[in-house]
Amino acid sequence: MRTLKRQGMLYIMMVPVVLYFVLFAYYPLARGLQASFQDYKLMGDRPYIGFDNYETVAHDPTFWNALWNTLAIGGGILVAGFLAPLIVALSLNEVWSRGFKKTAQLVLYVPHLLSWVVIGGICIFLLSPDTGLVNLLLAKGFGLAPINFMAEEGWARVVMVGSAVWKDMGYNCILFLAGIVAISPSLFEAARMDGATRWQQLRYVTLPQLLSTMKVILLLNTLGLFRIFDQIFVMRNPAIASKVDVLMMYTFQKGIMEIRIGPAAAASFFVVLFTLLLTVVVRRMTRFDEV
Amino acid sequence: MKRKIHALLTVTTASALLLSACGGKENGANASPSAASPSDSAASPSASGGASSPAAGGKLAILAGNVGGKTPEGNTEFAKAIGSLTGLDVTLDKPASDYDQKVLTALGSGAKYDLIEVSDVAKLRAFIAQGVVTDLTDFVQGSAELSDPSVIPSGEWEQLKGADGKIYGVFSKFQGATMPIVRKDWLDKLKLQEPKTLDELYNVLKAFKDGDPDGDGKPNTYGLSTSGLYDIQGIMSAAGLKYRYVMKDGKRTIPYASDAAIPMYEWFAKLVKEGIMDPNFITNDTAKMRNLFLTDRVGMITYWDAWVGMFNNLKQQEDPKTTFVAAGMASIPASDGTILMRRGDPDFWIIPANAPHPDAAKKFLEFWHTKEGITLGSLGVEGQDYTVDNGTYTLTETGKAANMDHGVPYWYNANVKSPFPPLPGVTEAMALSKQYATLELALDTWPDAEKIVTNYALKAMSGQMAAKDAVAKMQKELKDAKLIDE
Amino acid sequence: MGIERFERMGWKNRTFDVLNAVFLIVLMLTMIVPFLNVAALAFSSGMASMRPDIILFPKDFSVEGFATVWHSLDLKRPFANSVIVTVAGTALHVLLSSMAGYVLIQPHLPGKKIMVSFILLTMMIPQDAILIPLYLVNKDLHLINTLGSLILSGMISGFSILLMRNYFLGVPYEMSESAQIDGAGPLRIFASMYMRLAKTGLATVTLFEFVSRWNMLTAPVLFINDPAKNTLQVALKSMIVDASATSSNFLVTTNVRMAGILISIIPLLAIYPFVQRYFMKGLMLGANKE
Repeated sequence: MRTLKRQGMLYIMMVPVVLYFVLFAYYPLARGLQASFQDYKLMGDRPYIGFDNYETVAHDPTFWNALWNTLAIGGGILVAGFLAPLIVALSLNEVWSRGFKKTAQLVLYVPHLLSWVVIGGICIFLLSPDTGLVNLLLAKGFGLAPINFMAEEGWARVVMVGSAVWKDMGYNCILFLAGIVAISPSLFEAARMDGATRWQQLRYVTLPQLLSTMKVILLLNTLGLFRIFDQIFVMRNPAIASKVDVLMMYTFQKGIMEIRIGPAAAASFFVVLFTLLLTVVVRRMTRFDEV
Repeated sequence: MKRKIHALLTVTTASALLLSACGGKENGANASPSAASPSDSAASPSASGGASSPAAGGKLAILAGNVGGKTPEGNTEFAKAIGSLTGLDVTLDKPASDYDQKVLTALGSGAKYDLIEVSDVAKLRAFIAQGVVTDLTDFVQGSAELSDPSVIPSGEWEQLKGADGKIYGVFSKFQGATMPIVRKDWLDKLKLQEPKTLDELYNVLKAFKDGDPDGDGKPNTYGLSTSGLYDIQGIMSAAGLKYRYVMKDGKRTIPYASDAAIPMYEWFAKLVKEGIMDPNFITNDTAKMRNLFLTDRVGMITYWDAWVGMFNNLKQQEDPKTTFVAAGMASIPASDGTILMRRGDPDFWIIPANAPHPDAAKKFLEFWHTKEGITLGSLGVEGQDYTVDNGTYTLTETGKAANMDHGVPYWYNANVKSPFPPLPGVTEAMALSKQYATLELALDTWPDAEKIVTNYALKAMSGQMAAKDAVAKMQKELKDAKLIDE
Repeated sequence: MGIERFERMGWKNRTFDVLNAVFLIVLMLTMIVPFLNVAALAFSSGMASMRPDIILFPKDFSVEGFATVWHSLDLKRPFANSVIVTVAGTALHVLLSSMAGYVLIQPHLPGKKIMVSFILLTMMIPQDAILIPLYLVNKDLHLINTLGSLILSGMISGFSILLMRNYFLGVPYEMSESAQIDGAGPLRIFASMYMRLAKTGLATVTLFEFVSRWNMLTAPVLFINDPAKNTLQVALKSMIVDASATSSNFLVTTNVRMAGILISIIPLLAIYPFVQRYFMKGLMLGANKE
């Protein structure tokens, strides 16, 4: 009886969430789904046309190219954007001076406060072949000829992944740090009593204790994989477009610019489907639900 | 694994079905614009400006991208000024960003506007196809003001016609053209003439790089910079190549992807290789290109005719003794003497099919091309942006910041003269535009074709690929995707 | 503590500390570049700010960019609106997301996995695809042109729910159990125990939500037309649009643009230190002993 009452209360606590999502996520989603089966005009009749929109998209090579680009860039960001902040968080954790630690955290977080318009512009500027800082360093330090990073297909994805990881470094770092801080100090104390070195503490206490945080970050980043847009929108150019145009670029182009809402909606549902598949895999692999 | 997918799918489909059932019903009500429920009007665009002066002439709701004040406060004043000049109760929404999303959402969700500003002919075509815009043919032809060729030259209306020959929009301003803009003072200093052939152009650009035209003793200047493939029109003109589509005997062709373009790309590749061209031309946005020109880094760019005056004026404001002189220049003529220049897409108003007050909108459209309308669209609001004393116009500080552009920097109406003298160099540049500039032909397939053309053209120009191979690839991919007919 | 100091005396440790610090400093240098670049441009004069070679130091130092923003815009109202939307929205967001996160850590709760799926799916929806229906929902709820639409936009996110779930998992479950034996209901356990013990998590989610709400742009542009209800980001953005796609006489100099950006992120930099103390080791020590 008491369990029942208890569970009832728990369900009630979920009510606002469910209500909100039904209204602001599922209902719009359903309307979007509906549009994907319609010859969707901005005004007037919107006749149902079965899977025509899906066929249009599925037969568009640009769409599949965008999928590959998304997987390559998104996958790169997923892996590097997971490892790099983890390493930095662990490294920050080894710093003993509170002042330095605080400053470092703040500074690392700064790029996340600025929009991609600003960051993208600065990246293009820093990577420019004539006055860019990176090429100046390469020339002075290694005597290399300038590389046109933003215009060469071979570099395009590397630059996108690198700048994305760099910009969100502080952000992801905070997620890991919050996880590290939550580890019970008694565990470290016990390890030290046993004579564990710093490396051993890291290996046998910090990392295992951080596992659930890692899982959740991996899952959250997986969900974001197909959503890359702002960065590409700002940093792309026609010379590298075929290597970096991602799925959200495609739906933007179709939906907002060409006002072909039906095909854009269909493309969006392909994206939902891909994300769903990927999420199921990651959820399964990380055993996310096994608390 | 299986069970999990199953559970997920069940939840998704169940909720989706449930919701789309409700959605379908509501859509039925929304489908006909006339069936406006009371809640619709309550949620329609705000009473942002002019609410204090409910006028007898009725309401007018405007959604604008360029027309209006430069700040939210300025915009409110602007709406009030339209109201007091037209006798309408005007609301003017001018979103700070994401204008395309705003227009799309407004139209798709049945929000009611009487006028929407559009700056893109391809969008107009999509709007016509989707039943969004009102046919204005009768209104335009019946309007004493708008049908007057001295107000708007008759030929111009072609730009705003649909495939059915009907007029679907009314110009909001005179849209200029882009052209090569050259540092005249650098030419003079290096004792060079304005180039008329490709070889002369090469020599001039080379001299801009090697001749230290800015006189600082450092090799820090480039001959040419661009920010997009459309910016090379002035040079491609030498081979008689027009950007985007050209119809030949009813067949779609893209001149930039033809064999005739090969030597042109090779010419650019030489420029890039010799360091005459700004190596950032692929990543430049227009602002960056402009800034290079303003800061003595490059001797020639391609930009709007109006900016010839802007450049000169900006430099003179910074330093009255500046030697900086920018001048517009005609494109390099082809062997048969043809000069190709690029006219910008028109900027225009549409009346959406669901406009609640189309008559008020029409009243505004006529007003917009009168002296009062043009003065408002250019100088701004009297008392705020400018003052008139005995027929003498003076710009206020706010007015100076807006620089005589509240959406209408230049206009068609030949009977209305600006109270201020034109900025230096603009008159000459605009004369070239009017003589040579033509619209580009953007068919529905252009967005897909553009990706292929720009990709390989830039590769050829930057020397990453031989021009011959690049053009061959262009042709193959365009044909495979059925984007050209021959 | 004694052992700690003993350990830290080894040369290996010292070398590591130095290398570690160098690594972080180099990283910090790269991170500070964009900020300094924005500041350098903001503090340059109008024409000088358009020079392509300004990186870290202003040229022709001037505050005219800030003066222009200040004179042209009445920032009080938008600032107040931004504060209302950000504070109210963040508070609701954190509270509701935590509540859901708390429900999701309950063992043996039937339907939990379905709830997780339900939440995960909301995170897969591309925004562009639901622009129009989302507007219609706001319209039907009479939220257009109200700050309410901005507070409701993103009021709950799967992202924050899953994060809070994770942080709550770090709270020893035995403590909750003992409270249950004392007769406390789930709501009380949540409010009096979990919300206090997972402060680091709360700080994280609060910080992220605060920043993203403060920087929110698309929602206000779509849902708000009334200038009196503009947010700071929108007001600043309205000043710095560049209509370069169409011929125009209007130019916004780079220093004005950058001054706008700087003004908009200063409040974020100001709140950071308050949040930051929750990321320091040792905080949980006190909590665990409670």
